[in-house]
Amino acid sequence: MSTENQSRAPATDHSVEDPIIEVEDTNVTFNDGHTYVLDDANVSIDRHEVLGIVGESGSGKSMFASALMDAIPDPGVLSGKIHYHPEDGESVDVLELSDEELRQFRWEEVSMVFQGAMSSFNPTMKVKTHFEETLKAHDKSVSEGLEFARELLENLYLEPDRVLDAYPHELSGGMQQRALIALSMVLDPEVLVMDEPTAALDLLMQRSILSLLEELQAEYDLTIVFITHDLPLVASLADRMAIIYAFQFAEIGPRDDIIQNSAHPYTRKLLNATPNLDAPLSEMQPIEGEGPAPVNVPSGCRFHPRCELATAECRTDDPPLVSHDDNEHRSACHHWAEAREEIPLNFGEDSPDVGGIEATSERETSASVDGEEPLLSLNDVEVHFEEEQGIVEQFFGDSDTVRAVDGVSLDIEEQDLVCLLGESGCGKTTLGKTMIGLQKPTGGSIEFRGQDIWEAKRGNGDISHEEIRQALQIIHQDPGSALNPNDRVVNILSEALRHTHPNSDRSERRARMRSLLERVGMSPADDFLDRYPHQLSGGEKQRVALARALLMNPEAILADEAISAVDVSLRIEIMDLMLELQDEFETSFLFISHDLSNARYFAEHGDGRIAVMYLGEIVEIGSAERLIHDPRHPYTEVLRWATPNLDLEEMDESGPPLREVDVPDPIDPPSGCRFHTRCPVAREACREETPELQDIDGGDGKAACFREDPDHAYWDSEPLEGAKADPDAVER
Amino acid sequence: MNYYLRRTLRIPATILAVATLTFGLIRLLPGGPFTQLRIQLLQRGIPADQVDARIQALQNIRPDAPLWQQYIDYMIGVVQLDLGRSISLGEPVINVLARALPWTVFLVVTSTVLMFVLGVLIGAVQAYWEGSWFDQVTSGASIFLMSIPYYIFAVIGLFFLSFQLGWFPTGNAAARSVQPGFTVAYIQTVLYHAALPIASFTLGGIGSTALNMRGNSIQVLGEEFVEVARLRGLSDNRIATSYVAKNAILPMYTGLLLQIGFRLGGTVVLEEIFSYPGLGYYLIAAVNANDYPLMMGCFLVITVTLVVAVFIADLTYGLIDPRISAGDSDAY
Amino acid sequence: MPTEDEGSDEFDWRADESAGEVGFRDRLEEIYQHSIREPALVAWSDMRTRIGFFIVSFYVVMALVDVFGLWRNASPNQSMHRLLPPFQSLKYPLGTTQSGIDLLALIIDSTPFILLMVFAGGVWATTLAVLVGTVSGYKGGRVDTVITTISDFFMAIPGLPLVIVLAITLSPENPLLLGVVLTINYWAGLGRSIRSQVLSIRENSYVEASRTMGTGTLRIIRKDILPNIMPYVLVNFVKAARYTIFASVGLYFIGVLPYSGQNWGVTLNNAYYQGGLFTMQAVHWLLVPIAAIVGLAFGLLLLSQGMDRIFNPRVRTRFSGESESVEEADDSSTGGLM
Repeated sequence: MSTENQSRAPATDHSVEDPIIEVEDTNVTFNDGHTYVLDDANVSIDRHEVLGIVGESGSGKSMFASALMDAIPDPGVLSGKIHYHPEDGESVDVLELSDEELRQFRWEEVSMVFQGAMSSFNPTMKVKTHFEETLKAHDKSVSEGLEFARELLENLYLEPDRVLDAYPHELSGGMQQRALIALSMVLDPEVLVMDEPTAALDLLMQRSILSLLEELQAEYDLTIVFITHDLPLVASLADRMAIIYAFQFAEIGPRDDIIQNSAHPYTRKLLNATPNLDAPLSEMQPIEGEGPAPVNVPSGCRFHPRCELATAECRTDDPPLVSHDDNEHRSACHHWAEAREEIPLNFGEDSPDVGGIEATSERETSASVDGEEPLLSLNDVEVHFEEEQGIVEQFFGDSDTVRAVDGVSLDIEEQDLVCLLGESGCGKTTLGKTMIGLQKPTGGSIEFRGQDIWEAKRGNGDISHEEIRQALQIIHQDPGSALNPNDRVVNILSEALRHTHPNSDRSERRARMRSLLERVGMSPADDFLDRYPHQLSGGEKQRVALARALLMNPEAILADEAISAVDVSLRIEIMDLMLELQDEFETSFLFISHDLSNARYFAEHGDGRIAVMYLGEIVEIGSAERLIHDPRHPYTEVLRWATPNLDLEEMDESGPPLREVDVPDPIDPPSGCRFHTRCPVAREACREETPELQDIDGGDGKAACFREDPDHAYWDSEPLEGAKADPDAVER
Repeated sequence: MNYYLRRTLRIPATILAVATLTFGLIRLLPGGPFTQLRIQLLQRGIPADQVDARIQALQNIRPDAPLWQQYIDYMIGVVQLDLGRSISLGEPVINVLARALPWTVFLVVTSTVLMFVLGVLIGAVQAYWEGSWFDQVTSGASIFLMSIPYYIFAVIGLFFLSFQLGWFPTGNAAARSVQPGFTVAYIQTVLYHAALPIASFTLGGIGSTALNMRGNSIQVLGEEFVEVARLRGLSDNRIATSYVAKNAILPMYTGLLLQIGFRLGGTVVLEEIFSYPGLGYYLIAAVNANDYPLMMGCFLVITVTLVVAVFIADLTYGLIDPRISAGDSDAY
Repeated sequence: MPTEDEGSDEFDWRADESAGEVGFRDRLEEIYQHSIREPALVAWSDMRTRIGFFIVSFYVVMALVDVFGLWRNASPNQSMHRLLPPFQSLKYPLGTTQSGIDLLALIIDSTPFILLMVFAGGVWATTLAVLVGTVSGYKGGRVDTVITTISDFFMAIPGLPLVIVLAITLSPENPLLLGVVLTINYWAGLGRSIRSQVLSIRENSYVEASRTMGTGTLRIIRKDILPNIMPYVLVNFVKAARYTIFASVGLYFIGVLPYSGQNWGVTLNNAYYQGGLFTMQAVHWLLVPIAAIVGLAFGLLLLSQGMDRIFNPRVRTRFSGESESVEEADDSSTGGLM
């Protein structure tokens, strides 16, 4: 396959000999040319390559995407030259095209996939109509086009008829995104521009889509421009990569060069700030500060305020984007050589943590001290939701039951740390909320220090409901909605003190809030206290939410994907802060995530456990080290596969170790082992029998898989259709 | 129980509740329900000892029976569509109502459809030209229209166009000289007589409809899927209709349910002004004549009409908007 | 018990207590800033609101004129001229009726009554709707079902006919009572739409955070939910007020509301039925009360146009001179207006 060859080609040979798009001196401005949101872009895109463009939110990377189609939203102004060179035919400057030419150019030559699939579809129209109207608008045969669409959908692991006949809201997020990719390819374009196409999805789905994209690219000779904030994600797909910082290209070059030999401090710091499975934990470093807004871009090198290598030259002179080694690798830094020396990359070499498995697993088992009552104890907890159905079924059938959590038992000790890991829809948030008493279980019981929470709410308990309520706090995923937009920070935090210190006076409360705010890294605190949430950045909002939870003096805090909405460069910082405060405030932490590397960071630093959830059940639990280096459940293995990895050796592998991309409907979960429909090593036995969580040999924790039992009937039964006969095939 | 079954069962339940309310209100009326009738009967020279029997014969209710007995009698009457006899008109109430109902429905339906269509068109054009002089002038005009009640349009229209200029009739639903039937002449005279009432009722609601549509359209125009549709090369017409208009109108549909109620109630004033022989007109006539059976009959039938209208709108909403799952009880 | 748990707190709470003194005067100052000055500035910045404010103030002045008796009361034959057109005489600026009543006096006489009634109608309808909508939306479950069923019933009754029947029963002549009667079922529809807004607001994480802290239902409704629907409530208060004017005048006009003395609707009725319809000479008799009604409704609508922005914290911070966004937060000299 051509792409395989290209991506394997030696980095130095890789040059843009046959560009399909050349972007020259292109700017996007607002405010009558005073504000630049894309500054002097000079980039060529090679035919049939995958160019990964990485930048923080608000760095101008979406503007670049829109510029390629001459689709800058009003009142932005696009200037410069964008040459398009079709394989056969005249080259054109996209900005010179007439309206009708541009209309044809878009989607037929260059098409685009946006971030939010849901908002890209007309909610009142069936998916099929979207395909049909696109074909009609470009004078293409509808029946042939739909045939092609079906082929595309099938290649994307979707059932064509079901998807085409559905309204957008009837599909899951991952399905929508794949349907959107099919829609963008229905006219067989040369170039596919993808603007954060997977950002709203969980990791496993992101990685699955990426590996499907790789196949599509090969099959249909596509050129892909993939824009994202997630460096490791695109690294697995890209041939070349570009880094955008503050509306300018900071670095561009072949993927392997960028990852192993980057010459820009920002790129190197970004690489080091990424939680991944191989880097030694101690060396993961956050990048201080935040990217600038378009209205106050720093002079000289735009990165200088956040760069420790900055000199006077950096403050005054803007470094040009040039090659330092006479090859395709260009970077915009005065001190590129120092950057390579002074900022070592923290991955690639063998991680010293690997040797520590045995030692840490010892610690793990000691976490559950015998005889001591656990802080929270879940006993066979079930949460089932009634879900009502569509119009026709309404008249006849009864409502369906979603089994969000199905029979989970788990003990949380005092000052424990547990990460719940799983795909969206696996019930991890519901389980988390049940743990802290926000969601009433429909079966089983949940006890706080031996006291049933829901009994206490009814008023008959040894521990009062108020006390339990205060002891269990939450930090939400979306900082945007975590704080009441109508309240100033001071009022938001006072609410917590109203509960914990009802008799303290105003100045005392303010002093408490101030010292805590400074502790979570927001100073001057007085300034922040008087702000409204909209005057805070995402990271600051999350800190306020953390402070609010801590002011309650909680025994346990549920952090529900609390860092996934925070910029990558800040994640480590917030996680470190949470871990430090856990120690200082002596609370337990329940951390919900879909990202194994984040969960690992937490669990390993906080000496805790990771519980892997699938369709309402815990399928494996254990220490981070054991789960990562010795996963026992095939599903844990899959999550491990989905986790970003900067190791170039491991990057180019085959498709997902899954037989199905989508999670089955939780209304009607599969029989036996619920994972058997997707499991790469499932056998007949898995369909008929349900595995129980059991202690595993040679490691800490438990797993629910027949493969743990060498005498199980599993080993003698037939592999299911599509599953691998050789059970070791899935092992790394 | 499921949503549609619940909705359907609610019709008889609501009608029962309204009938009960009607029954209760009659008893609260000054002098009670029969005083007026008794006086009239006595004036006609009917012996006092026969008056109760006559009342029973006329109104299907025994004045001397206990309250629960009266209630049951009344309910049985309602079920049998026997709403008593009108005192002032001297004929069964149900006959009067059957005559009046079509006129009221005609007025409300025609004017509401017109108001909706015109308002939506104006609002959509405004949204497309957001910020233009047309938009600004029309927005101002819409707010001004919103501050004028429909009956003011009616009074002014009647004063200038009917009384001063003589272009339109001053009352009635059709010319007496024309035989009712599906003839061109009859339809002409009906439209001629309904023109002013419909026009004023339409004008009365057009301002808010246009402003709503304008706001919704501007919001939809900013949605990503409109931008994507443009990039896909769809024609402006297609985007304007299937994308912007459809998504902007849908949320207005729920408001329309409330509008129907207000407008049905509003016919009381409108029909009185134009002497238009609909339910509202007879309701006022009954009030002025102390004709309680007719009054309550009108009240009951107006309510039932509204209940049925809302039910129809409710059912169709699920068909129009694919996102509304039937279980969603906040369809309003 | 939620007491100081110092034992487990390694963290020093009282880092700089002395600096935290906040005096009573400062609090008053703060309340003035946040509750009076900021909203006023925001509202005033909208031209439509300013015009609306002037119009509504004009009606309030008319009411005061009547209360303090600064203009003559209306009575028949107070002018020799019957049907005197407006703007002809300084003594009767708006002209006279057929029976020689000063039209300006007629309008002024009924202004306090109308304003009281409008206020009562608006307050009753919106308060009840907010109460019903927030409670049923936030609580959900059985409370929601009961409230929804009741308001569905009220929504199923067309307003004006019910008011007519009630008016016969209750003979409301008190303006406050009349306002309530006129909007007797207006709250149902409004409550329903507030409910659906609350349904989406309660999904916000901060509401759940308050719940997690153990904050009570009423406090959550007041602090977390109400401020979010206030713009909507305010706009609908005006709509309810407008409905009250329209309904009352309409019903007075067709003569089904009990009245003693004059008001705009009755004047309209008299003009209409006592010959105003037939001659151009009497057209002002019709137009003057119409202008009074339309003017008040127009003023209220304009007033409400800019009001919804009062509750938008983004607009508020801009007007109080605070830094607007994170990006500008660095130049801390922006607090100049404080």
